[in-house]
Amino acid sequence: MSSIHTKTAFESIKRSPFQALSAILVLTLTFFVSTMMAVIVYSSNNLLKYFETRPQVIAFLKDEAKPEEVSALQNKLIADTRVKDVKYVSKEEALSIYKTATSDNPLLSELVSPTIFPASLEFSLSNLSFAQEIIDQVKKEPLVDQVGFTASLGGESTLNDVVSRLRTITMYLRVGGGVFVGLLAGTSFLVLVVIISMRMATRKGEIEILDLIGATPKFIRSPILIEALIYAFTGVFTGWVLAFLFWLYATPNLIKYFGEIPVMPQGMLDFFLLFLAILGGEIFIGSLLTFLGSMLAISRARKTR
Amino acid sequence: MIKFNNVSKSFGSIKALEDISFEVNKGEFVFITGPSGAGKTTLLRLLLREFTPDKGTITFESVDITKLDKNYIPTYRQKIGVVFQDYKILNERTVRENVEVALAVAGVPEASWPGRVAQVLKLVGLLNRAELFPNQLSGGEIQRTSLARALVINPKVILADEPTGNLDWETADAIMDLLEKINKEGKTIIMATHNEMIIDKYKKRSIKIKAGRIVSKEKLTDEPKTQPTEAPKVAEEVNEGKQEAKESKIEEKKKIKVKVEEV
Repeated sequence: MSSIHTKTAFESIKRSPFQALSAILVLTLTFFVSTMMAVIVYSSNNLLKYFETRPQVIAFLKDEAKPEEVSALQNKLIADTRVKDVKYVSKEEALSIYKTATSDNPLLSELVSPTIFPASLEFSLSNLSFAQEIIDQVKKEPLVDQVGFTASLGGESTLNDVVSRLRTITMYLRVGGGVFVGLLAGTSFLVLVVIISMRMATRKGEIEILDLIGATPKFIRSPILIEALIYAFTGVFTGWVLAFLFWLYATPNLIKYFGEIPVMPQGMLDFFLLFLAILGGEIFIGSLLTFLGSMLAISRARKTR
Repeated sequence: MIKFNNVSKSFGSIKALEDISFEVNKGEFVFITGPSGAGKTTLLRLLLREFTPDKGTITFESVDITKLDKNYIPTYRQKIGVVFQDYKILNERTVRENVEVALAVAGVPEASWPGRVAQVLKLVGLLNRAELFPNQLSGGEIQRTSLARALVINPKVILADEPTGNLDWETADAIMDLLEKINKEGKTIIMATHNEMIIDKYKKRSIKIKAGRIVSKEKLTDEPKTQPTEAPKVAEEVNEGKQEAKESKIEEKKKIKVKVEEV
């Protein structure tokens, strides 16, 4: 039975190809931008998560600190629910890290000895809002010389500034992206409603005949709904493919630029899974837009009959 | 089968029908006659449940259709085959597709369509016109397409609103012969017409309306002669058509096979 509706839908598209093309183009643009925004939001979330979870706080220990005292402080920090991933870094390890960091300039590493570098306790925080109070608390420990943080962006002087700046960027991305995508989705919805209404007007005579020979409302609206779904799926798929190709091309450069910060999925499988999840969401949104648009157009057409 | 009981209908200040009462039995062929504007079409539209009367009841197989829930109207209409004066054919579909639409509307499984369509087109003499569009047909052929569409769902009743109104006498006569043939197979037919020649020639019971009122209910023949419970021949022919279509498909496949072997 559905084949007759599908055939009617395709015939309708063939009869007015420019209406169909405009609907598909608007939907393609909407879902291209949606895919782009979804990936940007995903990357910014990863960026924020990276800074939130990397060892942000380093408590440099005094040279006279005894191993049992260090161990006691380490255990105290481990027991603190606000703190996670506590790690002891010895003087030798600190030198090794320094050497690795300055490997492109061997002269720098030759000039230093392990005694220059203090041992330290590095840890991250479960929530960065605790940062200042933890830092203040650790500073008061007798075996702690200085407390620093590794996250630094734009030269901010405190950890709170770094995090709040990252959060603001992420929030702007989410809100701005959401508003933009919302506006495009609204435009797509209106274009769909207009085009379906035009289709209904064109098929007015046919609908009246179908009504007289006993067609149910479902029978009458099925080809219209199928036609709108064809627009939506074509738009979703084309927009998604374009964005997918863009990110496929850009990801190696992004991974290279951001280094260890996992702004994009590192493996191919994860990359495809991310895009499949986006496609699934977009198909759902596309279907919803189509269904609501068709219903609105059909109910408006019925009122004017 | 169909009963109008004191039915009145007005459109604003215009009284289209007033106190209309009559009955139509199963298997009857009834003319609704009268001049233009008498209320014939309004009567048929009331029976098709396009709108409800202001007063009175209309029963179809003991069901008062004036009180029918709107969700059941499509199911009710599927029991009625309608032929309109202006044909109401889908111009962007072929003759075959126009007939198939009625089957799709009635929810008939697609597998049985070719047989039923072929049979009904054979009945109305349009089998060789099946793939033509309405703009490639004559008025009589379009009306026969409309009749084929009405018949293909094997309806209990056929409503024909001036089916010969736009046709010349010869074509109109051919359509009338077809309707008579269908009636003889047991279908109830209610036909609105103002064509005196047709009324005189076919001598059916005639309900004459003037200015919305019944002025006479003549019974010119001793109809209904038969009151069959089913519409056997059309149904049988439809099934035969199904078989024929199957056989022709097998034949076609055989021909293709032979051609392939030859290659």
